[in-house]
Amino acid sequence: MTSTVSVLPQQRATRLPGLGDAIFGFLAWGFALLVLVLLTGVIVSLVWGSLPALRTYGFDFLISTRWNPVTEKFGALPAIYGTLVTSVIAMVIAIPVSFGISIFLTELCPPMLKRPIGTAIELLAAVPSIIFGIWGLFVLSPIMQTIVQPFLISTIGQVPVIGLLFSGAPYGIGILTAGMILSIMVLPYMVSITRDVFETVPAQVRESAYGLGATTWEVVWRVILPYSRVGVIGAFMLSLGRALGETMAVTFVVGNTAKIATSILAPGTTISAALANEFAEASDELHLASLLGLGLILFILTFAVIGTARLLLLRLNKQFGGH
Amino acid sequence: MSMLMDSIGEAAAFEPMPSPKITIKDLRFYYKGDVAALKGIDLELAEKRVTAFIGPSGCGKSTLLRVLNRIYDLYPGQRATGEVILDGRNILEPTYDLTELRSKVGMVFQKPTPFPLSIYENIAFGIRLYERLPKSEMDERVEWALRKAALWDEVKDKLKQSGMGLSGGQQQRLCIARGVAVKPEVLLLDEPASALDPISTAKIEQLIDELRADYTIVIVTHNMQQAVRVADYTAFMYLGNLVEFGPTQKLFQNPDQQQTRDYVTGRFG
Repeated sequence: MTSTVSVLPQQRATRLPGLGDAIFGFLAWGFALLVLVLLTGVIVSLVWGSLPALRTYGFDFLISTRWNPVTEKFGALPAIYGTLVTSVIAMVIAIPVSFGISIFLTELCPPMLKRPIGTAIELLAAVPSIIFGIWGLFVLSPIMQTIVQPFLISTIGQVPVIGLLFSGAPYGIGILTAGMILSIMVLPYMVSITRDVFETVPAQVRESAYGLGATTWEVVWRVILPYSRVGVIGAFMLSLGRALGETMAVTFVVGNTAKIATSILAPGTTISAALANEFAEASDELHLASLLGLGLILFILTFAVIGTARLLLLRLNKQFGGH
Repeated sequence: MSMLMDSIGEAAAFEPMPSPKITIKDLRFYYKGDVAALKGIDLELAEKRVTAFIGPSGCGKSTLLRVLNRIYDLYPGQRATGEVILDGRNILEPTYDLTELRSKVGMVFQKPTPFPLSIYENIAFGIRLYERLPKSEMDERVEWALRKAALWDEVKDKLKQSGMGLSGGQQQRLCIARGVAVKPEVLLLDEPASALDPISTAKIEQLIDELRADYTIVIVTHNMQQAVRVADYTAFMYLGNLVEFGPTQKLFQNPDQQQTRDYVTGRFG
C-alpha cells in the first residue's frame, strides 16, 4: 500500500501530460468529421450524377408526369407523388394505432401483459422488409382485391368528390396497399418511441392529474401528451422519414406504374421503387442520370422532413420553456 | 387505541378537539403481498385544522396521506384495509366514486408538478373536470384560486405563459392554487416545501396558515420546526405505527411516549 503511494507521484511526473487525451480527442474529431465527409460525398455524387438529366429537362424534371425510358422522356412527378401519398397514408393509419398501443401499454395494460405485447411490437421491427413485401404481395393484396377494395369502391367510392379517391378497378396492389404495408412497418418505431416518451412523464405529475379527479382519457390528452409532445413529434418524423425511403416492401405492392391516378386504389410508383426496379437496366446516360435525380429528390425530401421536425421542436421548446 | 384516546383526552385541556372531518379506523396498507406498510392506524383528523404527520423516513406518513385520496389505486397490487370515513362514508369501499373523492380531497406533492400548460390552463384544468363555467366566471375562479395561493400578483400579467417557466416556489403555489380551485374540503400536502428555498418555504407556510380557515389540511413533513409552526395537531409515526397523536404543542413539549420524546428532541430519525 505504502509503495503504491510513493510510486504514484513519480508516474505522474514521467507520463506525458494529456497525450492520451490528445489522441482520443483527435480520433473523436476524425470520426465526427467522417460523417460530414460522407454526407458531402453523397450529396456531391448525387448532384454530379443527375446533372445530365437536370440540364436536359431543367425544371420540367420536377413537374413532368411522363416517365418513358424508350422515348427518353423523364419526369419525376409520378414518383414524388407516389412517395408522398403512400407515406401520408402510412402516417394516417399508423399514428392513431400507435397512440392507442402506447397509451394502452403505459396507462391501461395489466402488468403481466406489458412485456409480451412490448416484445411483440419490437419483434415486428425486426421483420426484414422483404418479408413484408412478400407478405404484402401474396397475402395482403389478394385480401385487398377481393374484400377491402370492392367494399371501398361500393361505399366511399360512390360519394361525390372523395369517391374519386376510391374509384376504379380493384387491382389489389397499388398506392393504398403500399401505404398500408408502410404503416405496419413504421408502427413498431412509433410505438416504442412514444411509449418510452410517455413513460418519462414523472409519476408525480401523473398522480397530480389523477389526484384532481381526472379520468385516464383526460390525463392522457391534457397532461401526458402535452408533456411528451416533443418526443412524440420526433417519433412521427422519424417514422415519416423511414416511410419515405422504404424500398423493398413498397416495390412489391405499389404496382410500379409511373402514372398519377386520382384513385388511391390504382397502381403507382415511388422514388425508391423506381430506383430499385430500373437501376439495373438503366443503360443510357440520361436514364441513369434521371434515376440519380430521383435519388437526389428523395434525399431532399427526407432532409426537409427532419429539418421541419427540428424547427418545430425548437419553436415548441421556446414556447413552453423546455424540459 | 387507549393511548390514542388518552392523548385526545389531554388535548381537551388545550382546546376541545373539533369534530373530525376524517376518521381512520384500523387502517392497514400493503404495497404488495402481506407486508404491511401501515399496521393498524386509528386517527381522527379535525375539521378546518392543520394536522401534521411526522416521523423518520419509511415510517408510513406519506403512505397514510396517499390512502386519504386513494391515489394508490393507480398502482395494481397496492391495497388498504380498515376504514377511512369522510363525512360519514368509508372511502375505501370499492364503490366509492374516485372522482367525487378527489374533488373533495386535493393533493399537493413534494416536487412541484405543474402541467405543461399555461398558468391559466393549469388552474382551469381541474375546474373543467367538474364544472362548465362561462369564460368570465372561469376567469374569476382562476383569479380567486391564484389569490388564495398568494400567487396572483406575481403572475397576473403572464397567465398565458407556461406554468413550467415559474420558479420552484411559484410552481408549488401554482399547484396549491390548482388544488384549491376545485374547492376541495381537504388538502393533502406531501412535504410541500422540502424542495424549496427558505423564502419560498416561508410563503408556503404562511399560505397554509391562511388556508386553515376554510380547509382541513393534512401535511406530511420531515421538518419538525415546520410542524410546530403550521400544525394544530401532530401525529408521530414510526415503522408503520402511530406512536402518538395530540395537539402540536403538547406533542413537542410534553409527549407521553419516550419514543416521541427521543424523536422530537433529535435523538434519532
